[in-house]
Amino acid sequence: MTKQIAAFTVNGAEREAIIEPHMLLIDVLRDQFALTGTKYACGTGDCGACTVLLDGKPSLSCLILAVTAIGKSILTIEGLAEGPELHPLQQSFVDEGAIQCGFCTPGMILSAKSLLDENPDPSLDEIRHALAGNLCRCTGYVAIFNAVQAAAAAMKTDSTGTEARP
Amino acid sequence: MRDALDKNPGFDPRSGGTSAPSTTGAPPATSRTIEGEFSCVGKPLPRPDVAAKATGAAVYGADLVLPGMLTGRILTSPYAHAKILSIDTSKAKALAGVAAVITHEDVPKLRFTRSVMAEGLPPFAYEGENQDQFILSDKARYVGDWIAAVAAVDTYTAEKALDLIEVEYEQLPAVFDPEEALKPGSPIIHEGWPGNVAGVIDHPFSRGDLDKALADSDYVVEFRGRNSRQKQAHLEPDVAVARWEPDGRLTVWSPNQNAHLAKKTMAQRILGINEGDIRWITTTVGGGFGARLSFGVEPVAVLLAKITGKPVKVFVTREEDFSGWSSRTEQRQTIRMGVTKGGTITAIEQRILSDAGAYFSHSGTISAVNMQATLGVMRSPVVSGKATIVYTNNPTSSGMRGYGNPEGSFVLQQAIDMAAEKCGMDPLEFRLKNAKGTGEPSMWEPVTLTSCALETCIRLGAERIGWKEKWHGWGASTGAAGPSPGGRYRRGVGMSIMTHASGAGGFLLEHSSAIIKLDEDGSVQLAVSPCEMGQGILGALSQIAAEGMGLRYEDVHVITGDTDVTLFDIGSHASRSTYAIGNAVLDAARQVRATVLERAAGILETSPRALDIRGGSVFVKADPTQTVAVAEIARGAIYDYGLEGRHITATGKHQALTHCPNFQAGFSEIEVDTETGVIKVLKYVVAHDIGRAINPLTVESCLQGGAYQGLGYALTEDLIIDEHTGKVLTDSFATYKMLSALDMPEVEVILVEEPDPSGPYGAKGVGETGITNVAPSIANALYDACRIRIHSLPMTPEKVLAALAAAPQSPDYNGG
Ligand code: FES
Ligand code: FES
Repeated sequence: MTKQIAAFTVNGAEREAIIEPHMLLIDVLRDQFALTGTKYACGTGDCGACTVLLDGKPSLSCLILAVTAIGKSILTIEGLAEGPELHPLQQSFVDEGAIQCGFCTPGMILSAKSLLDENPDPSLDEIRHALAGNLCRCTGYVAIFNAVQAAAAAMKTDSTGTEARP
Repeated sequence: MRDALDKNPGFDPRSGGTSAPSTTGAPPATSRTIEGEFSCVGKPLPRPDVAAKATGAAVYGADLVLPGMLTGRILTSPYAHAKILSIDTSKAKALAGVAAVITHEDVPKLRFTRSVMAEGLPPFAYEGENQDQFILSDKARYVGDWIAAVAAVDTYTAEKALDLIEVEYEQLPAVFDPEEALKPGSPIIHEGWPGNVAGVIDHPFSRGDLDKALADSDYVVEFRGRNSRQKQAHLEPDVAVARWEPDGRLTVWSPNQNAHLAKKTMAQRILGINEGDIRWITTTVGGGFGARLSFGVEPVAVLLAKITGKPVKVFVTREEDFSGWSSRTEQRQTIRMGVTKGGTITAIEQRILSDAGAYFSHSGTISAVNMQATLGVMRSPVVSGKATIVYTNNPTSSGMRGYGNPEGSFVLQQAIDMAAEKCGMDPLEFRLKNAKGTGEPSMWEPVTLTSCALETCIRLGAERIGWKEKWHGWGASTGAAGPSPGGRYRRGVGMSIMTHASGAGGFLLEHSSAIIKLDEDGSVQLAVSPCEMGQGILGALSQIAAEGMGLRYEDVHVITGDTDVTLFDIGSHASRSTYAIGNAVLDAARQVRATVLERAAGILETSPRALDIRGGSVFVKADPTQTVAVAEIARGAIYDYGLEGRHITATGKHQALTHCPNFQAGFSEIEVDTETGVIKVLKYVVAHDIGRAINPLTVESCLQGGAYQGLGYALTEDLIIDEHTGKVLTDSFATYKMLSALDMPEVEVILVEEPDPSGPYGAKGVGETGITNVAPSIANALYDACRIRIHSLPMTPEKVLAALAAAPQSPDYNGG
């Protein structure tokens, strides 16, 4: 098996890892970069716990070979907050009671981020569809829907606020 | 007066203003919070554990990495019942990177049970759980039974080594049906249990002459039903890390729901060492739902760590988790109920056949709790309950959320509707007439109910679902009346009620303690040992602590999950933590408060009784301008340059022979597609007797999540086992159907707050309860819509179509 040193852009930083062709992205993220916020819950693409954003698109890192992510920009949950401030989605998940055990949370928040990036004002139905691939065993989803709506509202106010500033 | 104090900025010595903790978001519209009375209790405050979960910083078992740590994996049996003739581990051991390979020959010859709760059973309650297994088995008893284990440098090597282990099996005839297993000539699964009878439990509160009472009743109804093996399916697969320390002690990290009893079981039942030789640390827990009241892979990690002298992490895959040792116990039940013409229950009989699977685990206690809850919610002069527990070659069952209650309620609540129909009574009125209330015996009969808001729950829930307008009535054929005249789509409403314990006082050791230490800046460290598995217990306990001491919520730092630090606690189960540990915390908080007041009285030159504490500041009640900060008192207690220094601490405890039952009513409105058999839930309403919602947001979220699992239990979730091979066929999230974000119907939560005198600020339990009323209320709605009854869960379209085809279109038909 050929090992290679591969370069990734992870959470905005250039990172290198020693990878083999069979390695999955989730293992490289967790084992080599110690980014353990990305969760393994099924390994078969059925639950969404391992979701990361690859060039902005939600992707299941348990199904993706690490080699295919070389040179791409990877966002994991650890890269979402800028500095000590929580990202509006993280804040709304905290505030709305959308987190119980938290195992689905990183994947759920990243799927929601990708939705809000494309559609800043989603309807409830659009939120449901965007999160349909992310299972949550604890919450019954309702608080999660509320959190995404609250974050959308907060981000709108934010961006209006920023734009209005000279 | 209080209001004036709230607005007085002088009362917060540190922030100089906002003494009230910040609230985030409005409380749920349906909850009734008591404004002004409390500063922390009853507020939707953010939980202390969730920010770390939102950022990915929380450390779950799989995230833990220790220096020199090895990976452990387990070889499972491909056969449901087989003798192990030989195991050759030589090739596996020879593989580079393999540190140890173990089989049944290497495990302690002490039998144990996975249920760590067994250690908390009092000798007078039941005989306890059968101690019937070794860590690695000498005979395969189900597909997935543990045969051997490997520790290696990494997962890849460990799994390669598993492939190199050569096991020679001799297949034995297997039995998967509990009724078959009882027949003479069936394969015997455990030598010590002839006839595969794992146990028989008589309900301790059976009384009266059943035959006579039934013969004397105006009507007798009978309903048989069976629940599915619902899987806990916590999103975090099972995992454990173990390390033997240089001083000979053992440290275990795992998501077990019951750290102190897990430690005791490990010490006494598995290793034969002292409890003090083990330190048990609970990692962040990715969901429990009862699965983690049993040992998962901890014993294997402990053994591999011992043999290799290195820390070892053992984990399972999702497929192994589904095929493993934990699901709701399948129970086949019959309820017979006698009633008078006037609608008074005269007798209830319950018979249970409980399929333990290959090992006993929780199947005994779960049957006992089933009977307590099922036979304990309605008043009846004659009661009879009996459970037979059977070994089969199915995967070992265990306890899942509700712990017997969702199993029994599915059958009882349909029988209740049938009895109401016989009497021509509205099932709502029938329940109101026969359900127990304050002053009557609880589900554990020596205990008297000190509060019961069931009637309010029923009335509010009925209002929200529109019971009066929507329930069709018994006489009316669904073809002729109501909003869904006989077309393809038929609508119906149904209801269900339940009682559940807030703890296990009476039938299990019910003992919790809490430690509070007041640091020099006026903040406190609260050490408690519930398992925070997502239910929000750390937040609720912090709120109780802050309220009890008069401190701010943010001044409380909670420490949990380390048996070296926390005092004994009986674990997180039985919907007990807020109630029981909450009482222990409140006890400690009041002691700290008393010490602070005493010291403050010296400074303010008055008596402690003249003082109160709010927002971290002590003040004279008669003159609130006279204050001293709690921080000043705490600092003075530590930085005392004389001889009176003493760090202010307190330990509080809760111990009880009661369990403060809570009550709940659930209502479903459904639409049935009579061509496809699909049941669509339009709305579910749950009204819960919470006593007091310490954190209404958390309680609402808990009930939403319970409803979610209840909907899955009712309609889709089922561990399907191949009846020839015993293999679990639904071993992935693709085949085991849990509801997704697209499937979740509207759920309305109503919190009924009628404080119980024994709860912390009146609180009762809620954790497990949200699941229980869903399936029976849907089943009763199905009868309202289509006049059919389904006898087994889940209520799939196939079963609905079969029942529709079999149903004579008569209003009397009850599905036989
Ligand atoms: S872990 Fe990748 S989808 Fe479940
Ligand atoms: S919060 Fe536990 S799985 Fe979603």
